[in-house]
Amino acid sequence: MSWDDKAMAKTILTVDDSPSMRMLLRSALTEHGYAVHEAEDGVAALEWLASNPQPNLMITDINMPRMDGFGLIEALRIKDQHRDMPILVLTTESSDQKKARAREAGATGWIVKPFDPEKLASAIRRVTH
Amino acid sequence: MQPVSANRVDGISREYRINIVQGTTYVTDNPEAVLTTVLGSCVACCLFDPIKRIGGMNHFLLPEPGVGMACDSAEAERYGLLAMELLINGMLKQGAMRGDMRAHLYGGANMHSGMQAIGSNNAAFARKFLKDDGIALSHAHLGGTSARRIDFRAALGQARCRVVMDKVPTETNRVAPAAKGNGAEFFR
Repeated sequence: MSWDDKAMAKTILTVDDSPSMRMLLRSALTEHGYAVHEAEDGVAALEWLASNPQPNLMITDINMPRMDGFGLIEALRIKDQHRDMPILVLTTESSDQKKARAREAGATGWIVKPFDPEKLASAIRRVTH
Repeated sequence: MQPVSANRVDGISREYRINIVQGTTYVTDNPEAVLTTVLGSCVACCLFDPIKRIGGMNHFLLPEPGVGMACDSAEAERYGLLAMELLINGMLKQGAMRGDMRAHLYGGANMHSGMQAIGSNNAAFARKFLKDDGIALSHAHLGGTSARRIDFRAALGQARCRVVMDKVPTETNRVAPAAKGNGAEFFR
């Protein structure tokens, strides 16, 4: 797998309540040269974003305790500093209804698990160029 | 995904069986529901939240490379994670709490000597997932060379495992090896 030099400085916040999924994502993303930060749900993601520079991208699950992915995206889009941050949803959900809700909330894109690391990297390049 | 059948255990009992075939997941809070499956190399994870009295079962087989096809361990892990996440999400949607969940693991037999230890790989994945995700493993009956029949009163957290001599339904992976994963759909 080749390194993407342009991605070296880019940071990604991954939000998923499953440590196993976060580990898998970290492995796939660092392989492509991204710096990865993790949050276990929407509340933890908001806390991280409040005290750190905005990442180049956030990848979030939908079904999470405390605050789900929809709530997280809506909370971010009403803040000026996060209005344009790319947000990819990575979820087991595939219904049109859920997809439409994510679009209305302000998500940039939608990926149904399981993900293909190369397709994920391609999607990241597209939304973070 | 839906189970293939749901039948009354007998004409008297109010219990009814729901057959969990490979690649499916089912979650219920109905104390009359008995989730049942037959396992060879596959693994079934039975999850139970004793506080909310919600339970569920999945039945999965990690993808193995077919003839002339590539399948790396990360790909297998992605599909295994999907099977576990579908079960956990199903539990969460019905009100279960991740921190209260207890798991039983069954299956993972190496059915054919001289072949790859497919069952061991499935069992090792399931154990590792539960450990990494902090879900307590209450009981495991894994490995060996025999098939197992599992009955799980999901909402009550009661599981029964019997070694059987029955012929195991063909365990073909329901994930197309060529479909390595999904791409993105963009909204903006």
